[in-house]
Amino acid sequence: MIRSLVLSLALLLPVSASAHNVISSVFLSGSDIEGEVGFSNGDMAVDLLIEVFDEAGTKLGETKTDADGFFLFTPSQPVTHIFRGDLGAGHVAEVTMEASEVATLLGQTIAARTSGTAAQAPAGARRAILSDQARAELATMIRNELRPLRQELTAFKNKSDFQSILGGIGYIFGLFGLGFYIAARRKMGGDI
Amino acid sequence: MHIVDGALSNPVVIAGAVAAVGGIAMGLRSLPLERIPVAGVLSASFFVASLIHVPIGPSSVHLILNGLAGLMLGWAAFPALFVGLLLQAVFFGFGGLTVLGVNAVNIALPAVLVGLAFRPLVARGSPLQGAIWGGIGGAMAIALTTLAVAVSLMLSGDEFILAAKLVFFSHIPVMVIEGLLSAAALFLARRVKPELFIDTKGRLA
Repeated sequence: MIRSLVLSLALLLPVSASAHNVISSVFLSGSDIEGEVGFSNGDMAVDLLIEVFDEAGTKLGETKTDADGFFLFTPSQPVTHIFRGDLGAGHVAEVTMEASEVATLLGQTIAARTSGTAAQAPAGARRAILSDQARAELATMIRNELRPLRQELTAFKNKSDFQSILGGIGYIFGLFGLGFYIAARRKMGGDI
Repeated sequence: MHIVDGALSNPVVIAGAVAAVGGIAMGLRSLPLERIPVAGVLSASFFVASLIHVPIGPSSVHLILNGLAGLMLGWAAFPALFVGLLLQAVFFGFGGLTVLGVNAVNIALPAVLVGLAFRPLVARGSPLQGAIWGGIGGAMAIALTTLAVAVSLMLSGDEFILAAKLVFFSHIPVMVIEGLLSAAALFLARRVKPELFIDTKGRLA
């Protein structure tokens, strides 16, 4: 009885509780890489030193998070960027941005620069409607609009829902049942 | 409480994995057939306990219940807690797979130590006396776990005193709560299931 009591109590309580995990993500943001670091309960990492490494572990630079846990980093080489922040007490955030993504970002900015300086001539109808400045503003606006969505999505990914709790318990019982079965078989075999 | 991937240096991770394998082997050897269901239930309790959060100021800490597992199972708490940790890592992303060994040692070793030290005391005397010892054991397991976490962080280069203080003090409420919880659970177990503490041969299990 005590077991079922403990279990049902434990089952009922945690449903609304969120896990205390480190969440971090990076995404392209104009000519920069933008990222965020925080805990899954909504606390963001404020003023945290973020170190940037390439794949081989060479330091490419560092940046700091702002009051909302966001950081900006301007890449200079199209290599894989690994962002690392130490939140203390065993919490480390590490996110990787693949070389191909960084390359697209750099390629874009280089292309934008050349088209901006050298040749305005082949600019199509789209360019005519939206000036460069308007496009940049629009991009910032969309980014800002998407930011809460992105945050929610990351939080959602880290959320432990009821299904996974039940699934985990199922796994545990299954595993111990299997162990029980093997132990019982061994015992029976020994008796015969 | 769960250390995440990448926070520890490689030697610590490897040493933790080796120690965990040893502990699991030791635990499986001292897990007789009739205690496997108990181990399973405690493993499941541990698995969900970490989802119960205790808010403290801006942060929050979660229950661990390793003391209870240690007091009920002794060495067998090692594989039980390991299974719980493995599934927490897979399902909730607590800790990580590479640091699983270190986390298992940090959480299960205090449980085993507390189990070895307090189990005879818990099983003896009146249920109330047993419950009091159980409460002390439950709180002690958390204290030892915070210490173990601090040691792991120190071996990887963190400042020990700072890390230890941070982890230890943030877990004082957990110690209190777990002490009370362990005491209540053991009181009930002593009252309604006294055979949990005695094996089939009538000795102390």
